[in-house]
Amino acid sequence: MNFLLKRLAFYLVAFLVAATFNFVIPRMLPGNPADIMLANANVAMGPAAREALMATFGFVDAPLHEQYFSYLKSIFTWDFGVSVKFFPVPVTDMLMQALPWTLFLTGAALLVSFSVGTLLGILAAWRRGTMIDVIASPTALALQSIPSVVVALCGLYFLGVSNKVFPTSYAFDPKLDPAWSFEFIASVAYHGFLPVLTLSMVLVGGYLVTMRNNMIGQLGEDYIYMGEAKGLSDARVRYTYAARNALLPSVTSLALSFGALFGGSLVTEVVFNYPGVGNLLYLGIVGRDFPLIQGQLLIMTLAMLIANFAVDLAYVFLDPRLKRA
Amino acid sequence: MKSLLKTFLRNRKAAIGLSIVLVYVVIAIAAPLIAQYDPLGRVGRPHQAPSADHWLGTTRMGRDVFSQLIYGTRNSLMVGLLAGFIVTAIGTTIGITAAYFGGKVDDVLNFMTNVVLVLPQLPLLLVLAAFLGQVSPLAIALIIGVTSWAWGARVTRAQALSLKTRDYIQASEMIGEPAWRMILVEMLPNLLSIIGFNFIGSVIFTIITQATLEFLGLGSPLTLSWGAMLYNAQNASAIIVGAWWEILAPCGAIVFIGVGLSLMNFGVDEIANPRMRSLGQVAKALKLERRLNRQRMQEANQ
Repeated sequence: MNFLLKRLAFYLVAFLVAATFNFVIPRMLPGNPADIMLANANVAMGPAAREALMATFGFVDAPLHEQYFSYLKSIFTWDFGVSVKFFPVPVTDMLMQALPWTLFLTGAALLVSFSVGTLLGILAAWRRGTMIDVIASPTALALQSIPSVVVALCGLYFLGVSNKVFPTSYAFDPKLDPAWSFEFIASVAYHGFLPVLTLSMVLVGGYLVTMRNNMIGQLGEDYIYMGEAKGLSDARVRYTYAARNALLPSVTSLALSFGALFGGSLVTEVVFNYPGVGNLLYLGIVGRDFPLIQGQLLIMTLAMLIANFAVDLAYVFLDPRLKRA
Repeated sequence: MKSLLKTFLRNRKAAIGLSIVLVYVVIAIAAPLIAQYDPLGRVGRPHQAPSADHWLGTTRMGRDVFSQLIYGTRNSLMVGLLAGFIVTAIGTTIGITAAYFGGKVDDVLNFMTNVVLVLPQLPLLLVLAAFLGQVSPLAIALIIGVTSWAWGARVTRAQALSLKTRDYIQASEMIGEPAWRMILVEMLPNLLSIIGFNFIGSVIFTIITQATLEFLGLGSPLTLSWGAMLYNAQNASAIIVGAWWEILAPCGAIVFIGVGLSLMNFGVDEIANPRMRSLGQVAKALKLERRLNRQRMQEANQ
């Protein structure tokens, strides 16, 4: 319990750092930040938009620390200002509409890549030096060094454009109305397949290599030999003995991979024109819509922190010693 | 130093990786000799397919894709190396300092590292780049460099901490060696493999991230780089009009250097941790050992 409370406090500080970052960056620019932002924005804007922009970044007539607190207050009351490009739609509304799609995409990709990568990693370590290891491990490493832009673009070209196997944009058929019908869910799955596949491809290598290395570390331990000596089946020693213990550091590295996960989904959404936070961000960048850009950083940070907390919970479950600590 | 290089090259993966990277370095240096056309000039009709004249076809602007690719290599390598250097310098300094001094210093530095680790990196970079406007490759190298050191700091710290408990370190401490000497002479050489691993990994990360940032439109579209090529191709709807060469050429360049660098890293890792080796004699030895064990067990059971 203590452990989880400590982690929560840590995440709160991390979120504050991200928010402060958003506050400081525009103030480090020379000149009036709002004017710069407006000049950079590729859309015409009235004085009302300028006013809103100033308010979003806490540029009120007050000393710096008061500006900071009023900024923090608006962040913690879930008010990220209004979009400049789609004036006057609140940024939070736009983000909340896009967030479920991003969560669906990242969640599905995480599930697929972590289970496939971990299983293959277990096998590669167990049969070290055989075909599966010699092929899977270097391939995994190579996959890790391929950016998601490349995987996504190649997937789009080969499976979406030149062989029209999968749709090239949107999260579902625009002719359908969102509903819990079989037709709609099938359409979502069909449209989501390629984005999930590309995102998983990028991630699977990392999980495979980590699991393989942890597994190799475990296989030299005495308790493995004891399991074998007792005459347990190979599968039992492999999964319930070695893998269970090797999973622990793998879960730690899972937390570290969330950055790649969210970064990857950003790019994948842009390539497949998928209506998630990443695609929204892309629109924001193209139009230099600063409230939207900083709003997505806060949302992404929040998502990262929640995901990390989920890993902490899993950790407590996997390593019962932490409960007492 | 010489023997270190020899060990490195004896590892097959490292040798293959190094040769791939060297090819890129040669291409970058000899770019004007290799490229037949001005990479920014209109030297052909728009979207010509690969042919004898234009080995990798042309872009919508009628620019030669092959020449762009060759010149882009310079940019990507330079940004990768510069950012890799910054990342490694910051990460190593923070990691070793935290581990060596321990106590309050460690608490503060470790806390900083952990905070940076849980912040989403790409969105953070995007915010920075967006505020800076269209950023030059140098600026990209700098912002990647100063935001990406956390992972390296963490692994270096962990390694340095385990080093600190070794006898020879404690002995030198008792002799009364000054802190700078302890860090630079006693610890740093034994951390070389983790530092090298960190450096190569950071170069890969930078090349990938640069391409991503530029693809998303945060670089300058006039830069000659693989990311800018992807951005321009995407803007010209190259995929939809079937100009696959415009997309696949920079993709291929990024993939191959990534593979080369990660093979090098695999080599570094295997040299540092011999248990990770998967090929050749280790595998044979392992198989033999397992068979022997099984035999012994059967004999014991009988």
